[in-house]
Amino acid sequence: MRKIPRNTIKSLLFLSPALVLVSVFFLYPLIRVLIISFQEWQVMGGSDYIGFKNYLKVFQDDEFLQTLWNTFIYTIIVTPMIFIPAVLFAAIFKETNRKNTISRTIIFVPVAISFVAASYIWSWIYNDTYGLLNFILQKLGMISQPVNWLGETWSARFSVSFMIAWKTLGFTMIILLAGLQSISESLYEAAKIDGASKTKIFFKITLPLLKPTIFLALILSLAGSFKAFDQFYIMTGGGPMKTTQTMVMYINKVAFEYYDVGYGATISVVFLGILLCLSFVQLKLGGFSNE
Amino acid sequence: MNKAIIAVLIIVSISFLLPIMWSFSTAFKPTGEILSYPPTLIPQDFTFDQFIKLFTAGNGLFGKYILNTLFMAGVSILGVMIVSLFSGYALSMLPFKGSNVILLLILSIMMVPFQSLLIPIYDLLNKIGLFDTRIGLILVYMTFFMPFCIFMVFNYFRSLPKSLRESARIDGAGEMTILFKILVPLSLPALATIIVYVFLEVWNDFVLALIFSSSPDVRNIQVGITVFATQRFSKDWGLINAGVVFSLIPSMLVFLILQKYYVKGLTSGTVKG
Repeated sequence: MRKIPRNTIKSLLFLSPALVLVSVFFLYPLIRVLIISFQEWQVMGGSDYIGFKNYLKVFQDDEFLQTLWNTFIYTIIVTPMIFIPAVLFAAIFKETNRKNTISRTIIFVPVAISFVAASYIWSWIYNDTYGLLNFILQKLGMISQPVNWLGETWSARFSVSFMIAWKTLGFTMIILLAGLQSISESLYEAAKIDGASKTKIFFKITLPLLKPTIFLALILSLAGSFKAFDQFYIMTGGGPMKTTQTMVMYINKVAFEYYDVGYGATISVVFLGILLCLSFVQLKLGGFSNE
Repeated sequence: MNKAIIAVLIIVSISFLLPIMWSFSTAFKPTGEILSYPPTLIPQDFTFDQFIKLFTAGNGLFGKYILNTLFMAGVSILGVMIVSLFSGYALSMLPFKGSNVILLLILSIMMVPFQSLLIPIYDLLNKIGLFDTRIGLILVYMTFFMPFCIFMVFNYFRSLPKSLRESARIDGAGEMTILFKILVPLSLPALATIIVYVFLEVWNDFVLALIFSSSPDVRNIQVGITVFATQRFSKDWGLINAGVVFSLIPSMLVFLILQKYYVKGLTSGTVKG
């Protein structure tokens, strides 16, 4: 028998806690979700293999397609809400000085709080009877009747999106800042010597060189949209008429309320497939992130 | 960009705090004032009533939620730290044929959203008797929050000179001594990042605690707030905002104290360079 080097044994011993966690709580569940997705579970226990039936069902399931559509609409609304201010803030607060550092920190504070807290803070502001928003808009004469912001499909989508933008744009700004700071100062100086205006520098130098970073931040934000759960669960409960229900909400509903565990696993696999595609694009761009 | 736009943007950045301040303001008002019209921006009748209500409801359930969450955060931080130091040490100082594959395996966890594994993990926790236990949740937290920390510690150790370990070996130091006496004191910034990252993830977690716990003894603070918010027919906004304030304070404190490490951790690796 070939002898395993002493250092390898030592190394494996040091790695063993991580390897146990990876195997038990990651690899095993990953294989299980694939297996369960081909099964039908009985409420009383026991399960049968039903081949691709669940997969055929997914793409004819109106409620599932609705969640995909909801995610699509929500992404279209929230992306500019996050990126336009984030790019502006990053460009303005680029220089590291006292004033800018304080501004950056303030913008970043909502990133550190929980989605639960953020959701209740904004649900209270959006409240139809006692909410601050209705009061302010009525005082300004912009609306005559209180609006039920979270009770109508489109206003709910915009209201939740606005909350998300407030909560997450600090994160996007920080990524963009790191990108901006990696652009060489000499480029700006050369442009200034050539007499380029500030607007021209922004569009001809900053934006093109920042493009990879913006793209990376976009992928991260897109992944966030697909994973959305807490904010819709709390602020709208998926309503009205399931028009703000997200994929993760639907997975939970199917598995833990309808007890259709096999089908829930199938939706999980489709969901995983979408996010793996995004991750591969992200890796191609050369970025990792833990968010 | 002219001065006026910059001034506007500075005002806008300060206004980021207004929603949070509004929540604080509401939490210190009596219920009558909360539901009065027009709303008062600063509590006219300053009171701790909402907090008293929060902590006396259900025989101090909310206090239990807080302690639970702090316990789970503390153990997860300690656990992730040890796992990261061990793995980072093995992968950087004791590499072997195939250790790169192990690193890739650990990093692949970051590509798989845990939301897609809720069903099999729920099933697994049930089978091994860890459903609705703090330790079950802690193990799940550790698994999904350790890859980033392992990668960070690995990179940190790799940047240190190899001779550090070799000379200590010649002096007769064991691996544990090298790790804890020589490398750990050099990696305090990495450990600070682990503390703030894992704390915020666990303290702010909602979906994992929601699905993998069911009894008041295990619930965390975020799930606790939603339980308090939905148990009555009409929402008690004073109570909810008081709960929100208590969820906000630790997140904001930890972030403000360790923000340098948190931001550095978040952006490390996101930008090519």
